[in-house]
Amino acid sequence: MTRRLLPALLGVAVLTAIPLTVRNSFFLHVCILVLMWTVLGAAWNVLGGFAGQVSFGHAALFAVGAYTTIILYLKGGLAPWWGIPLGGLAAALVSVPIGLLCFRLRGPYFALATLAVAEIVKLVALNWESVTAGSVGYLITTLPPVRLLGVAVNWEGKPPFFVTAALLAVVALLLTGWLRSSRLGAYLVAIRENEDAAEAVGIDTVRAKVLTLALSAFLAGMGGGFYAFYFRYVDPDAVAGIGLSMEMVFIAVVGGLGTVGGPLIGAVFLTAVAELVRDRFQMGHLIFYGLFMMLVIRFMPEGIWGRVRRLTTRVRAGA
Amino acid sequence: MALLEIEGLSRHFGGVRAVSDLSFSVNEGEILGLIGPNGSGKTTVFNLVTGFIRPHAGAIRLDGHSIVGRRPHAVARRGIARTFQIVQPFPGLSALENVTLAAFLRHPVRQDAEAAATAELKRVGLAERLHEVASQLTLMDQKRLELAKALATRPRLLLLDEPMGGLNATEVDVASDLVAQVRASGVTIVLVEHVMKAIMRISDRVVVINQGEKIAEGLPAHVVEEPAVLAAYFGKRVA
Repeated sequence: MTRRLLPALLGVAVLTAIPLTVRNSFFLHVCILVLMWTVLGAAWNVLGGFAGQVSFGHAALFAVGAYTTIILYLKGGLAPWWGIPLGGLAAALVSVPIGLLCFRLRGPYFALATLAVAEIVKLVALNWESVTAGSVGYLITTLPPVRLLGVAVNWEGKPPFFVTAALLAVVALLLTGWLRSSRLGAYLVAIRENEDAAEAVGIDTVRAKVLTLALSAFLAGMGGGFYAFYFRYVDPDAVAGIGLSMEMVFIAVVGGLGTVGGPLIGAVFLTAVAELVRDRFQMGHLIFYGLFMMLVIRFMPEGIWGRVRRLTTRVRAGA
Repeated sequence: MALLEIEGLSRHFGGVRAVSDLSFSVNEGEILGLIGPNGSGKTTVFNLVTGFIRPHAGAIRLDGHSIVGRRPHAVARRGIARTFQIVQPFPGLSALENVTLAAFLRHPVRQDAEAAATAELKRVGLAERLHEVASQLTLMDQKRLELAKALATRPRLLLLDEPMGGLNATEVDVASDLVAQVRASGVTIVLVEHVMKAIMRISDRVVVINQGEKIAEGLPAHVVEEPAVLAAYFGKRVA
């Protein structure tokens, strides 16, 4: 128990210390990105890592969350901290019919179906102008004034966004941790290992997969909601592009499929790679993602977290 | 009333009639041997009963209730378990984890499921292999694991698809004893098997199918002398 509690406490301490001590707003921005990508990587990992259902269309769920949050705020006046969880719920709702359709397919056919779904969502976002404002998109100019403990929150600074992102990341990792030890989590591993055998021993594989997709969508939708809240701008290219779906895959694979901490590690690497090469290249970071992902798949298929865990257990066993 | 009743069951794949107007029933507590030449439709019958494929016509009733159209997990919940001709473990998981996943069906709490799984693994003779990865087990042990997995769902009816295929003579005797013990514990069994020695020794009754149709039914010793059965296996001239 202490083995799990210690890193958790350490994590919370670091997350609390960063906004209080760090004054460099670029570094805070990078930290916020890492936390946002952690949520998204965890979202993908729940479905792709645990259940072995590879989705190339998670941007669709992200987009539903982003649009829900920003539309609720701009048209309904609902503050983003309500909009973000509602964005997650909206994405979870949308995911159910998608799952019932796509889970009739297995393996690569499922992956292709999710790709198609993401493309459909993007086209809907582009063309349903009365709701989504089409390619013009939505822009948040001001956020609602809030006083926290008697102090007005400064929306032009980074700390409030850091705290929000940190909360979402903690929720995502806690959900993943719960899933790993739950019966549903065990069912997902069974589905990943052998779907027919899972059905034969009484596991309702469709129900387990649809539930997991909804959970994954909830996280991806909240990630999208946070994106809208932080970047204050949503249009189809920004929130429904295939690049976004690929980045979620990247994080989960590089970090370690089916692990709890993997997405955090993957997010750190993804953000680091992106920021290191962004100055020199416009789209170059995507090439580096691809290269990095190939290297990881070839030499470290269990991901960084998975490899570290294996090494530490070996050291412990040897000692 | 029979535990399992199959009536007029038919299923074709394209132009091939895999199972055609097949009827038989399984009585509570018996071991029914289901035999027939290769490609005669035995495995298809199992797939139809367990919901992996749907029949085009006919009825399948467990305890008088139709189970046609139910998905495999629902059929398992109702008390029909199966093993596969080619073993289907969860390859990357340990023997205990494999069987625990099956035990979850009757034991929602992990500790209970693990206890039940351990008991089943002991019963099939895998007590020493609890923590070995399934894909690393010998074929005999994988067959034991397959049986333990099926038993952990606490079936009333167990469908065994060639549990002795690929085993040597000694292993066949061990496996036969194991199947007989499972029946003695109150599980009704349908056994598809090519190893005739095992069929003759432990089945109470035998149903013979050929090209998806039933060609004989009765006591093992009588059935193997029927002309239709000999013709199906060896050709008409022998019969």
